[in-house]
Amino acid sequence: MTFFETIGKIIERYSSFFAQGVVNTLIIAAFSVLLGTILGTLMATMRMGKILPLKWLAVAYIEFIRGTPLMVQLMFIFYGLPMIGVKIPDISWIPNFSRFAAGIVAMSMNSCAYVAEVIRSGIQAVDYGQTEAARSVGFSSGEAMRLVVLPQAIRNILPALGNEFVTVIKESSIVSVIGIADLMFRTNDVIALSYKSLECLAVAALIYFVLTFISSRIVSLAERKLSHGK
Amino acid sequence: MENKQTMIEVQDLCKSFHKLEVLKHISTNFYKNEVVSIIGPSGGGKSTFLRCLNLLEKPTSGKIIFDGTDICDKRQNKNIDLHRQKMGMVFQQFNLFNNMDVMRNLTVAPMRIKKMPKDEAESKAIELLKKVGLADRVSAYPSQLSGGQKQRIAIVRSLMMDPEVMLFDEPTSALDPEMIGEVLDVMKALAADGMTMIVVTHEMRFAREVAARTIFLADGKIEEDKPSHELFDNPESPRLVSFLQKVL
Repeated sequence: MTFFETIGKIIERYSSFFAQGVVNTLIIAAFSVLLGTILGTLMATMRMGKILPLKWLAVAYIEFIRGTPLMVQLMFIFYGLPMIGVKIPDISWIPNFSRFAAGIVAMSMNSCAYVAEVIRSGIQAVDYGQTEAARSVGFSSGEAMRLVVLPQAIRNILPALGNEFVTVIKESSIVSVIGIADLMFRTNDVIALSYKSLECLAVAALIYFVLTFISSRIVSLAERKLSHGK
Repeated sequence: MENKQTMIEVQDLCKSFHKLEVLKHISTNFYKNEVVSIIGPSGGGKSTFLRCLNLLEKPTSGKIIFDGTDICDKRQNKNIDLHRQKMGMVFQQFNLFNNMDVMRNLTVAPMRIKKMPKDEAESKAIELLKKVGLADRVSAYPSQLSGGQKQRIAIVRSLMMDPEVMLFDEPTSALDPEMIGEVLDVMKALAADGMTMIVVTHEMRFAREVAARTIFLADGKIEEDKPSHELFDNPESPRLVSFLQKVL
């Protein structure tokens, strides 16, 4: 059997494995992106704000998260914290809730640090003259931010944020180490059943690529919608 | 020269950035309907002085009394934004809002801040745009305009708020030479209409012909402050003499 025939067979026989993996990967990624963006916006606000203790906290958090591996953060939350009694409870009607919650918490805490930096640099890239002009006609700093700076910052932020989303989808493969049945985890299952590691990994890579490709297309579409008036 | 109504009174104004003293005990008055130009070498504190007047820079010490209130005193001047609405500012780099077309650049402040109805704001904008010869560009975005056009629109944006005084921070310094004239013409027309103007400029001809008074600012101090023709024809301080030799 040729390589491609084997791939065809594997997809045919184990499609339900891959499908379930994709669903779980998407669940983890979607929640992480959503929470990461919300928390990241908050973190960027703290970091650029005038309240010094909050600013220091945000800087320390962002530096620390970006300077340590996601794998360590994930295992710290799932294996480490329960040792001191911090444990995510199981919810009976959601299977594997504690694993999923730990995965999502770790991924979004990680992503939030990167999102915060993306937002901060996007805002700071807008010429300060824009703010000054808005203040000079009598707008408050909040209005200047909302009416003039943010609409321009979005154009800087969106492409980088899109990259971050794509990264989250790919990085989410790491949650397989705490036993979440995501695409990577299911791929390993299929390898164990079929002994065809090369072909199975090729299938997994292809699926990941389709997922990231679609999301990056969606982001660039949104970019184009926002780009007129530039 | 009697009957001059004081608009801005500057008393003993100092400004330092960390250890660097940029303005050293500046005192002068600006009167209603007066056009004053401020000249001097780069780094002498001209722009900083102008920016202090509407508090884009916070003075380190001293008083700026505008409409009877000391705007540097937080107890007297509770709302800086309110005070800025009465002072138009034109920047060297134009600083039109890049995310808005010309019409919105002009109407956003009066509509949001003064609650002016949209149609009133728009007809006012058109009327002013006609005066500067740009009525056909209402729907253009800043990136589609030349420097001279941007600056004329920036002037109109300030005028939309009916300011009591207009501050110009080197309005022609970032322009190509052939566009300087169109901006100066708008400024001359404003001066002829009786607008109170304070203009930081390198255009010595404008200072001499349009401004009634010229202030020479060097090393953070006012070296000379007198009617323009006197200042240009009979410069007294050696600093001014050598400055004029270089620029004229």
